[in-house]
Amino acid sequence: MPGVAPLPDAAAAQEADLAAEAAPSPSPSQEDLPPEPPLPPGARIWRFEFAPDPALVQRGINVNVIRARLEEIGELRHAQPLVQGEGKIAFEFLVATALDESAFSGWGQDGVTYSLERPVEPQVPGVAVDRHSTPDGVTFPLNLGQSSVVRVDLAKLDDLMQMVGELVISRASLENHVKNLEGRVPAAQWRPLQENSLAMERQLRALREGVMRVRMVPIGEVFQRLQFGAYDLGRDQQKKVIMEMEGQDTEIDKFVVDKMMDPLLHLVRNMVSHGLEPEPERVARGKPAQGKILLKAAMSGDVVVLDITDDGKGVDPDLVFARARTLGLIDADTLPDPDSVLDILCEPGFSIKDRADLASGRGVGMTVVKNAVQELGGTLAMETQVGAGTRFTIQLPLTLAIVDALIIKVAEQTFAVPMAAVREVIELNPAALTVLNGNEILNYREGVLPLIRLSRFFGLSPHGKPSAYALVVGSHLSRVGLVIDRILGQRAIVVHPLSDPLVQSPGFAGATELGDGRGILILNVTGLINDYRRSCKTISPAEGV
Amino acid sequence: MAEAAHNKEPFILFEIKDTVFGVRSREVRHIEMVEQITPVPNAARFIDGVVFTRGQVVPAVNLRARFGLDRVPYDLRTRFLVLQAEDRVLGLIVDTCREFVALDQGAILSPPEEIAGQSGKFLEGIVRQEDRLILILNVAEIIKHSGAEELAGLADIPAALKKTLPAGEMSASRGDSAPA
Repeated sequence: MPGVAPLPDAAAAQEADLAAEAAPSPSPSQEDLPPEPPLPPGARIWRFEFAPDPALVQRGINVNVIRARLEEIGELRHAQPLVQGEGKIAFEFLVATALDESAFSGWGQDGVTYSLERPVEPQVPGVAVDRHSTPDGVTFPLNLGQSSVVRVDLAKLDDLMQMVGELVISRASLENHVKNLEGRVPAAQWRPLQENSLAMERQLRALREGVMRVRMVPIGEVFQRLQFGAYDLGRDQQKKVIMEMEGQDTEIDKFVVDKMMDPLLHLVRNMVSHGLEPEPERVARGKPAQGKILLKAAMSGDVVVLDITDDGKGVDPDLVFARARTLGLIDADTLPDPDSVLDILCEPGFSIKDRADLASGRGVGMTVVKNAVQELGGTLAMETQVGAGTRFTIQLPLTLAIVDALIIKVAEQTFAVPMAAVREVIELNPAALTVLNGNEILNYREGVLPLIRLSRFFGLSPHGKPSAYALVVGSHLSRVGLVIDRILGQRAIVVHPLSDPLVQSPGFAGATELGDGRGILILNVTGLINDYRRSCKTISPAEGV
Repeated sequence: MAEAAHNKEPFILFEIKDTVFGVRSREVRHIEMVEQITPVPNAARFIDGVVFTRGQVVPAVNLRARFGLDRVPYDLRTRFLVLQAEDRVLGLIVDTCREFVALDQGAILSPPEEIAGQSGKFLEGIVRQEDRLILILNVAEIIKHSGAEELAGLADIPAALKKTLPAGEMSASRGDSAPA
């Protein structure tokens, strides 16, 4: 065991927790272990030992990173923490892999030592391997001292959130009743009722935020895995990559993090393989030889903003349009619109490469990114400058289960719009409207704002008074105004996803109950805009300029 | 298969335009009156919307529209039948639903070949009972193939059966089952 630095107890306990997570059955008793699956042909079992120390942590190497690496080279068979007295801890992993030693011989500098656990065995399929052949199968009893960290199953937190959600609905119903009583009972009796109801709302909000906070994890964990992914790919492609991070402490819902892990990894790998130029080309352009990727996370109101920037060659719109025409994704006569570059990149089947390789080129990557972001009710935007680099900006909601929403009315039907998606509410002045190619636009700030009449898009017959307001939504390049009739109010709503394919629609994030048994639909603004654009394209392909 | 023949299984019967359909009661979660349906814009033509029931959002399929028949306004007899199959939960809006019968497994006959075509797979079998026919629906298939329009043919089955069966056995024909 080369130079293991003592770790503080809490950190050790946490690391041990993480390792325990890797091993679903860390049962020390050897008898009741399930029979081991047979080894794949040619595979051997290697024993890895990883000793964390603060210097490694500084370089972003922790037990999770090592675990991810091991999972990439083979099948992780077993993981367990080893406590070695004086607060020192190490982790033991058994990995079945057909790769030879050269695949991991360079990991020594990352605190990993390894040895061959078992040579190739003349395996008879189906015969359980004798666990007792483990030479030093001695497990130390875990004695980690006191720890203030509790591990909780995410499902339990989901249940808790569900209960809070039901409470939110009950309170909304209570508030309705209290409102109905106003003026009907003496004010001296009504006021305490109202005050209690308001106090309950505040307490409920605090409870909600408390439950939400419990579900939050720092995004730094994800960043570290992205870093490993980028370095790994950089090594394969002989590109030197440095990764800088900001805002690792930013917290985000565990569910959101899990959903975003693969898409983010894809985005970063894309940057390494498409964005960053090979070293000689960079030097020739007067850039530093090492490509740089900056990961930045920050909280802004109810959303987390992730900025992922590279200093590579940027996305050339002409190239993208030419490629899209070759692939038949856009018509030959469609004029290139710089705003639609990202849409084309995210189109299923689009790939800038002619042939797929191990890293990329299958034409599904950006689609996956976009879908994941949309599914979570977030937005994806891209800024790029040819020769200078590309920046992706992803906005994600902090949490999914309960959101603040505006309750609106369109043609006598009620909908909810998440507050996080609404930038501004503007009054609609009929005189300021212009009709262009059958689309209404409104002069807004320094530019124009295309309008989507929700009543028309939803096929609802307009009712009585003309629509009075527009909700300004969307990221700055694709900002639009959603025309609505009325705003009924603002409240916390519990999001029930529309999980059945029969009623799934990109325009809706889910449904919610307003406390009186009435259900209303929650708009998914990003999906709705895309859906609208798609429907415009199919109706009038000629006008798609 | 003597064992199967003595096996009685409970079925829930409902009506669409005077045709009697049956589903296995273990596939039915619960039945309720139609109260609040939230319309879902731009959904399939036969979807009336979603219903909040017992903390869940359930799509409401208008079975008349699904079978290619005209919709009728909801009334006091209209029922919302919540079905469950393979992790999916789906609600059917039916004209009425008020019967619960135990049927002999052996009494379920496979549908005549004449109608076993496209819509045949949605029909698990037919039960002849005194003066009426019960069409047993294959809930799993209906839920699985919920995109296309193949179900339209189901509404024609009673009419088709009238032709294939001897007139005496279909003495009391139950109303007009003309195609839409």
